[in-house]
Amino acid sequence: MTISESDLPGVGKKFEIELGDGEEMIVVIHNTGKREVFRRRDPDADSEKAFEFSDDLARTIGSIIEGAYFQPVEPDTQETTLPGGILLEWYELPPGSPLVGETLESADIGNRTGLAVVAIQRGDEVLESPDAGTILREGDTLIGVGTPENCEAFEEILTE
Amino acid sequence: MALLDVGVMFAAVAVAGAVANRLGQSVIPAYILVGMLLGEFVLGRFALPVIGTAYVPETEFISLGAELGIVFLLFFLGLEFNLDRLLARRGPIGTAGTIDLANFGVGLVLGWLVFGAFLPAFLIAGIVYISSSAVITKSLIDLGWIANDEAEPMLGTLVYEDLFIAVYLSVASALVLGGGDVAAAAVDVGIALAFIAGLFAVVRFGTPLFDRLVATDNREFVALRAAAAVVFVAGAALALGVSEAVAAFFVGMAFSATDRVHTIETVLEPVRDLFAAVFFFWIGLVTDPALFADVAALVALAVVVTTPTKVVTGYLAGRAFDLDVRRSTRVGLGMTTRGEFSLIIATVAVTGANAGSFDPALAGTINAFAVGYVLVMAVLGTTLMGYSAPFESVATSWLDRGGADGSGASG
Repeated sequence: MTISESDLPGVGKKFEIELGDGEEMIVVIHNTGKREVFRRRDPDADSEKAFEFSDDLARTIGSIIEGAYFQPVEPDTQETTLPGGILLEWYELPPGSPLVGETLESADIGNRTGLAVVAIQRGDEVLESPDAGTILREGDTLIGVGTPENCEAFEEILTE
Repeated sequence: MALLDVGVMFAAVAVAGAVANRLGQSVIPAYILVGMLLGEFVLGRFALPVIGTAYVPETEFISLGAELGIVFLLFFLGLEFNLDRLLARRGPIGTAGTIDLANFGVGLVLGWLVFGAFLPAFLIAGIVYISSSAVITKSLIDLGWIANDEAEPMLGTLVYEDLFIAVYLSVASALVLGGGDVAAAAVDVGIALAFIAGLFAVVRFGTPLFDRLVATDNREFVALRAAAAVVFVAGAALALGVSEAVAAFFVGMAFSATDRVHTIETVLEPVRDLFAAVFFFWIGLVTDPALFADVAALVALAVVVTTPTKVVTGYLAGRAFDLDVRRSTRVGLGMTTRGEFSLIIATVAVTGANAGSFDPALAGTINAFAVGYVLVMAVLGTTLMGYSAPFESVATSWLDRGGADGSGASG
């Protein structure tokens, strides 16, 4: 991965990112905050401008590419993505999670996020169809079913 | 009525800028032309129906606004000037910039042949030497060349020129205001150079001070303090008889090392654009197109001589950066654009004439030459950049006969 950075006096900074096969992506960050993204098909070709973003938009796009905006799902097996784009996801309760010590009823995950908790993995045992009074503990792995949006909403309440 | 004059001025430059932009041309010639049209030398010579003779006079506000335009243009140049960056690439930039100095020599010879005296030749040399940072940078962005390898030698050469012009302007001011006798002006030049050295020391060691000055999150205060610093220092410099433009450049350089440099750029950029437009308008206002007839031959000569020389030096600058023939040709074509600094140099002569130390007729001639030359070169340079393809093919077929010589884009 070769990335070269150069200054453009009076304009800003230029980053040239080699993508392999001689193709390059060139990002020009203007002092004004404007970003321009160019594509260069081979070293002798001219750069073709592909996009232009404002500072705010560029940061958002950057975080999308980084995966901070939406975590791509890398299913261990094919079965985790159910027909219709429904996901089956495993979430471990991290230390300090606000859900620790709540019951399934008081945590109200279904109404708050739309994610249905179908099972809880605790150590070696699995509580399937856990009832509303089940108290969540640190280290529990919740197995939930929902749309990507439901999963995203749940990830937020998991750590907030 | 002064407020109405200023309103007419801003309306005129706004329209001129929009028209130039539509035509894909640089706005600078448009601002100058509209200033000329509305001034006493064009509009003032015609009696209009109903209102009689009306034109935009050179009010104190406009001439002061023009001065602020120079100050802010140079301030921004300093703000974006990074000495460490220059030193880091000093090899190729030094080579490219030194080759480019040949244009100064050409101007000196040209000026000497026409005027037969050192001082006007020295001013002509500066006018034809300095390429336009503003126009070239904007064209680079508009054409998308900014992402190509040709951007670096062009911007690098411009940085070298900027540093040269800072020293040059202080010497030129000293010579012009000192009465033009080189021997007698030696003291003034010494003072000017000492002043530069002093400013340089301030830049080198005064950064913490400048940092503290703008260490606030209040953008309004940042704008006020930065503007206060640059205008105050520039004004003081002028009062001491040294170049206000150079002082502004160094104040900008001092701020360039602070943490707030981006904020300063953001808040003062509109101020710079506004007053720079006033400066170009003012240049047009004080230029009598009737003088063009006298300098037309000189302008034509300068265009014919200094366009090819810039192409050649630019081409060699590109080669110094290891670019191939095609890209080096682009560097050469782009560097031909002259603009704001040539005009700032011409104002040195005008200032000298106003101060009574420089022959007013000669100042008028030099100013008319600079305006005519910039009008041609700004349009020509922008056009050459926009239609570079045929030149590139010709250059490649002539100079690249051995096929690709392997020196291509640096990956």
